[in-house]
Amino acid sequence: MKGKFSISQTIMYILLSLWALTTLFPFVWVVNNSFKPRNLIITDTFAPAAGDKFTMANYTLAFKRINIGGAYLRSLIVSVSVMAAVVLLAGLAAYALARYQFKGRALLDSLIVASMMFPVFCTIIPVFTMQKSWGIASSGHAGLSLLSTALPQIAGNLTFAIIILRGYIRGLPIDLEESAYLEGCSAIQIFFKIIVPIAKPSFATVAIFSFLWSYNDLFTQMFFLRSKAEFTITRLLNELTSMEGTNYGLMAAAVTLVVIPVLIVYIFLQKYIIKGMTAGALKG
Amino acid sequence: MESMIYKKKGPLFLFLVPAFVFIIVYLFYPFIVNIINSFSVIQGLGNLPAGVNAPWYQNYVRLFQDQKFKTALVNTLWMLAGTVVFQVGLALLLSLMVDNIRKGAQFYRTVYFFPIVISAAALGLLFNMMFMMQGGMINQVLAGLGTKAVNWKEKFSIQTMLIPVMWQYVGFYFVIIVTGLNNISEDIYEAAKIDGADGIKRVRYITLPLLFNVLCTCVTLSVTGALKVFDLPWIMFPNGMPVDSTWLTGTYMYYSTFNLGDVDYGSAIAVFIVALGVIIARLANTLLKEKDY
Amino acid sequence: MKKFLAGMLSLTFALGLTAGCSSAPTAESSSPPPAESEQATSDQPAEQSAEQSADQPPDAAQAVTLNVFSTYAGSDGNAPNYQDALAAWQQGTGNKINDTSATADETVKGRIRTDFSAGSEPDVLFYFTGADASSFLDKVLTVDEIRAQYPSYATNMREDTSPKATDGKWYAVPVNGYWENLFVNKKVLDAAGVSLPDAGYTWDQFLIDCQKIKDAGLTPIAASFVDVPHYWWELSIFNNTSPATHNTIPQDINDDAAKAWIAGMNDIKAVYDKGFFPENALSAKDEELQELFFTDQAAFLLDGSWRANTIVTRASDDDEKIDEARLAEFTVVNFPDKGLGRKSTDVIGGMSSGWYITRKAWDDPAKQAAVVDFVTFMSSDEQVSKFAGANSATALQNGVTVDEATLNSLNKEVIAIINAATAFTPAVQDAVSGDARDAMFQAIPQMLTGSVTADQLIGDFIAAFTPA
Repeated sequence: MKGKFSISQTIMYILLSLWALTTLFPFVWVVNNSFKPRNLIITDTFAPAAGDKFTMANYTLAFKRINIGGAYLRSLIVSVSVMAAVVLLAGLAAYALARYQFKGRALLDSLIVASMMFPVFCTIIPVFTMQKSWGIASSGHAGLSLLSTALPQIAGNLTFAIIILRGYIRGLPIDLEESAYLEGCSAIQIFFKIIVPIAKPSFATVAIFSFLWSYNDLFTQMFFLRSKAEFTITRLLNELTSMEGTNYGLMAAAVTLVVIPVLIVYIFLQKYIIKGMTAGALKG
Repeated sequence: MESMIYKKKGPLFLFLVPAFVFIIVYLFYPFIVNIINSFSVIQGLGNLPAGVNAPWYQNYVRLFQDQKFKTALVNTLWMLAGTVVFQVGLALLLSLMVDNIRKGAQFYRTVYFFPIVISAAALGLLFNMMFMMQGGMINQVLAGLGTKAVNWKEKFSIQTMLIPVMWQYVGFYFVIIVTGLNNISEDIYEAAKIDGADGIKRVRYITLPLLFNVLCTCVTLSVTGALKVFDLPWIMFPNGMPVDSTWLTGTYMYYSTFNLGDVDYGSAIAVFIVALGVIIARLANTLLKEKDY
Repeated sequence: MKKFLAGMLSLTFALGLTAGCSSAPTAESSSPPPAESEQATSDQPAEQSAEQSADQPPDAAQAVTLNVFSTYAGSDGNAPNYQDALAAWQQGTGNKINDTSATADETVKGRIRTDFSAGSEPDVLFYFTGADASSFLDKVLTVDEIRAQYPSYATNMREDTSPKATDGKWYAVPVNGYWENLFVNKKVLDAAGVSLPDAGYTWDQFLIDCQKIKDAGLTPIAASFVDVPHYWWELSIFNNTSPATHNTIPQDINDDAAKAWIAGMNDIKAVYDKGFFPENALSAKDEELQELFFTDQAAFLLDGSWRANTIVTRASDDDEKIDEARLAEFTVVNFPDKGLGRKSTDVIGGMSSGWYITRKAWDDPAKQAAVVDFVTFMSSDEQVSKFAGANSATALQNGVTVDEATLNSLNKEVIAIINAATAFTPAVQDAVSGDARDAMFQAIPQMLTGSVTADQLIGDFIAAFTPA
């Protein structure tokens, strides 16, 4: 595969870079504008934040009004819990749905597809009432409030995770599992010793998205996180910018502050996607 | 093609029960309440039902007479076709290319993820500033070329609404397909090379068949995604603007539930969306299975 | 991987729980509480002040934690005042507050309704008095009920101007109010050669001015009928009614109120047909079209009192110092009148929110005195003066006291308008809020494009609206 630049390689690089421009642009635009005076964001939106167009005012304003550190921590607690639970539970269920033949499997498949479309604003009220009766919602206790946010998010992310993992596991050759079985491994052992390592890229993908969607899921957070001592970073910055419809500088700074941890998580988990490529030496 | 290992069904319950307990308690129980709600009278989200509709199926009759819902359904079907063809298609194309370049794959993989991370509020603002009639980015370029300002959000409202949504979620399917590609070992490619299959042939005869399951997953996800897409369209085109022409099933359900407080009607729309989604997803999966497997 | 996952799960939940234990559920306040606590005790009801000496904080055993909700959150101009007041009250009484304030968007309104139906409502709340409150009126107390036990409760407020609920009773003790009027960008007027409107601005003169502005290639009025038709709807109807009749709701398509509403809608359509609104008034959000006003492309903006804060914000790039020269390019004038029942100095305004005490707190012997004391403190003359400042009307018997030195040019113009107002009339849309009203607002674009007539629009409303 080594060689000089071929025409097809050049064309691919051009096309890939064109798309990369479209995806990079909004990010650069947001970060750039977060360092600009708020009135220039509308009138001179594409100018670089340099010289007299540079200001830290948006960030000082954001930091002045809120306690950001605790909110980051609470975001991580909720989203990492959701991510871990989703990866584990969805992995087990997806494995079973991919490998076992049993009555009612088609029904379970349909139930999962159906539940992916349940809009969260249709399910939130019963979930709230239920969690209130268990004493975990609206209890005034920060730990319980975080738990009551995480639990519905786990359920909400399970379904897409099962679908992705099931598709991936189905595509895996069954040979490795059979040889492990001959060596005396039980199905559970096969899951942890064979499936999890070779499906690591897919698990990493699911982990990224469940982290991201838990982190960005403002609606559930609005219901279950109430006092500032409970706020996650997404919830806190939404409160800050909610009324300031026209202070786009503050909004750009808030978006930047929210996005950074997600990108760190993505870049960190991406290593597993790549590692899967080299380590998962499958024999087709 | 069931293996010996999976003849004993004992562990099956251990695998399925934890996930399905969550799904049943947090998704199905509330959705059953939602179905009951669709037959009740509820004004204002969070209020208790104030009796049963007369006749009890009234909301479902209303669905078929509601002009706005008809608009929403037609627009959503466009969205659905667009997501399957463009989102998944483009994601497949991009991931195949990234898989075949020698350097910099890491860079593209990272950058293509960006649009999913940025909140819909920020993307909505950006797109509004691009398509804005007065001094928007596109119209500034047009002015430079001596062309009159175009009111994109009126003249091309559907396109202006669909393109950002398509664009935003290409990265999602891209990541899933890239993950699937990693599963195809170099050995197969090497073997194929010896057999003389390279370039397009390699993609057609090796990559695509091996990606089949992953692509099925993407189709299922894009169908369900298109039916409930809500945030970016709502921020760019609230209240079906201009003049009730850009409703989607997702935005119309939100509007009915929150803006009008017509919770029971919103619930009926949700039930309809779920039923439609299951039918389309099943249909798509049977079609795909018959063709290739 | 198994160990890793299990470890992660238990670790994160453990962290979650300890984080909960270590952080007491109290309001975070950024500023130190003011030292004075006299009024906290001086407003105590008769029975209570006998038991508690005025200068001694209550014992710790008596201290309670109140759950408080308000809409003073986010970037509400009063959020800092609110935090200061909470800190002062906690300091003065030894009680604690669990503050769950949030900006009242549709989600938060849903949350409040859910709380009331699930029995997890706060002890006191500062919330709207219109239809948004109608579902929980049986779970809060009227001022009269409270006065039966605490005779001095809210006696510093005028009952006649305090906002009433949809059942006509007085529940909520108001703080600051609102008004709706016409903001002006003077730079655009200058560019079009239009002179600044004076006190008796007439509708005819307004239309002439708009034409001049349009001829100069500028946009006369920044407005969107996509998401915020509220102000044009309200003021156009007000121009066809009078302060005395404005809050009459049409019952029949032929009654006087219906005629006034139809005339108001036709006034909007006339302005629309003349092209005085932005060309994309039906295809752009209010927030986008407001930009035309802030960036010197549109002359007029009809909006509520809160927009004065936005103008101050947008006039300068820094919160620390206001750009007075830029701010002076904006002003506010009375909405032009048609010379029918309404004089141009008759202003739409009033109070649409207030402090409620819930039955849940009232029936709790440990909390009853504390919630009454809390509302009394939050609605004291001093606090109301602070919250209302120069920008809004209040229901205070004695009016507000404002420090002139802290006012900017826009504040002073607002005060002049408020002082010269011949009437403050509450917005009738608050009396009819609900799905019938919102469906009517949603159909206004159809009326403007001509697919629905004003008669049909109002007729459909009358058919759908059920009075409380």
